Amino acid sequence: MQERYAYYPGCLASLSQKELDSSTRAIAKKLEIELVEMPSVTCCGAGDIHEAKPDYYLHISARILGQAEQSGCDTILTICNVCTLNLRQANMALKEDAALLNRVNDNLKEVGATTYQGGVDVRHLLWEVSAGEGYERFKSIAVKSLEGLKVAPFYGCQILRPAKILGFEDSDRPESLERLIRACGAEPIDYPAKVKCCGFPIVLAREDVALGELVQPLEQAMDAGADVIVTPCPLCHLSLDAWQRKAAAYSGREFGIPILHLSQLLGAAAGIEESELKFKRHVTRLSPSVKAKLQVPSVVGTKV
Amino acid sequence: MATIENAHFTTLKGAYDTETMEATLKVRRFDPETAKSRFDTFTVTIPVTATVLDALDAIKDTCDGTLSYRKSCRMSVCGSCGMRVDGGAALACKVSMRKFVEAGHTITVSPMGNLPVIKDLVVDMDPFWSKIRAIKPYLDTKGADTPAKEWRIAPVDTALIHKESLCILCGCCVSECNSMESDPEFLGPAALAKAYRFVGDARDQDTRERLRDLNGAHGIWDCTRCYFCNQRCPKGVDPRDAIAKLGAESFKEGFTGDEGAKHAKVFVDSTYKGGYLRETELVPKTIGPVNALKDIPFALQLARAGKVPNPLTPHKAKDNDEVKRLWKLLEKEAKGQPRRATATHPDAVQEG
Repeated sequence: MQERYAYYPGCLASLSQKELDSSTRAIAKKLEIELVEMPSVTCCGAGDIHEAKPDYYLHISARILGQAEQSGCDTILTICNVCTLNLRQANMALKEDAALLNRVNDNLKEVGATTYQGGVDVRHLLWEVSAGEGYERFKSIAVKSLEGLKVAPFYGCQILRPAKILGFEDSDRPESLERLIRACGAEPIDYPAKVKCCGFPIVLAREDVALGELVQPLEQAMDAGADVIVTPCPLCHLSLDAWQRKAAAYSGREFGIPILHLSQLLGAAAGIEESELKFKRHVTRLSPSVKAKLQVPSVVGTKV
Repeated sequence: MATIENAHFTTLKGAYDTETMEATLKVRRFDPETAKSRFDTFTVTIPVTATVLDALDAIKDTCDGTLSYRKSCRMSVCGSCGMRVDGGAALACKVSMRKFVEAGHTITVSPMGNLPVIKDLVVDMDPFWSKIRAIKPYLDTKGADTPAKEWRIAPVDTALIHKESLCILCGCCVSECNSMESDPEFLGPAALAKAYRFVGDARDQDTRERLRDLNGAHGIWDCTRCYFCNQRCPKGVDPRDAIAKLGAESFKEGFTGDEGAKHAKVFVDSTYKGGYLRETELVPKTIGPVNALKDIPFALQLARAGKVPNPLTPHKAKDNDEVKRLWKLLEKEAKGQPRRATATHPDAVQEG
């Protein structure tokens, strides 16, 4: 774990998933890590720009990596699976190919943008707090035990696969989320779809195909007795949370299971308030029993 | 350790003394006559160098001769022995047993996913082959005469399709394809990687027709980017990357009408306009304004939770003029380059 990170919240945390940004900032403060802003960065392209315009994708990624470098940080902190894969994938390509990096930098120079020297790593919040010093530091701030809360971890794809770009843990048998759930005093629930896809990348273009994927984690997590699902990715969150009713209509089954951002679960265990965790910004609302188990101050019904 | 005594390894035994180990495997069985499946557990003595395939051979030779699975080359070339080891598709001949035995772990062997099971570990590959056939897995030179001598292409052009040419058609990528589970008609990672192998081939003259077909229903935009295919491929083909390359080729050729392509275009345009994604433009520009209107009740659910950003005040990154200039520079650069690699028919080339 670093003392300073170049903070890359990505589009969703800055727009529709603002609760992810505010809960991340709150947990970073508790962990005493500095999040350095990068006001000129663009979207990572979400895989879409990589697919449509791969050369442009490499250039905007180099510009983002270069800005982190210029800020004096050697690590970008991400809070989204898709940002993590896209930035790491470009970073790997640029670092492996000096001729490519030179050409990209020549172009960046020509348009007056920051160049990139190859000195930055990209790491997700999950990786930083689930192992080593970061994990110890999190345990020291997890003052509340979320006892009795059954949490289904949902990893999402692009924090696990492809392992040669991500590679933090065994992509078939990950355990970082389980470790953190236990550190929060809660109980991790196991189910096969926790490493599968939520369908989000194609939910607009191929809604039926996406919903066929989305129903699997919802059904399995509920069948395994989970109170909530926690995910490190805001796209998975949006899919599991906002598209949950569509998944219910698709499968003919009621769900109503609340979905937490990783930072919200950690935040609840660290005693952070609703004003920063913002559970009220979820489409699938917390049930009274889940609210009670999360023990969040000022959540309606559980005034502390 | 003892040397091997069972019949299966008599040939090996004569060749060299092999240290052995005892391994336990749980194997999924399926009997087509009763349509019933079950798990059988077997313990066999195998060399310490044995693969999962060697262990299955030992089971077949010494425990149960009715166990069915496919195999041929035993060296990760023929692509016959694709199956799931602890839930993940792999070539049985490429996975060593030793680490499992040393960890005291009983592996579970089961048939590949997304394909019907015929018996035990044998799957019906017909749906797989029909998709490979559907992408026209051969060079189409549009009626040009068969060259009198070999048709060479430059190493730089071969490199474009090198990874995709490594495919051994084993089906491991298809086994865990999340989109195919949901849409069985999805062409899937193996067929699409093969499709790129021809779209990217400098000699092929059928690029536009190929891309047009791949942009329809069950084509490239069905891919949900779960990356299981890249993870499972035993030969480093990286099918998902091939699908992304087909997307890029589609954009070059102007095939941008599929909802998937429109979705991608919103991301490209958003970075140009203001830096971050314009979420409120994503829905109408992907599925069209009429379909977006039909989805208003859904949009209201999102709005109530504060999840619809104000479209009138889109996010503006600082210094985004740099990005605009960058885009223009790259588009200009791309215009000066040929859209795709091409190779001249050898009979038209003057021998130097």
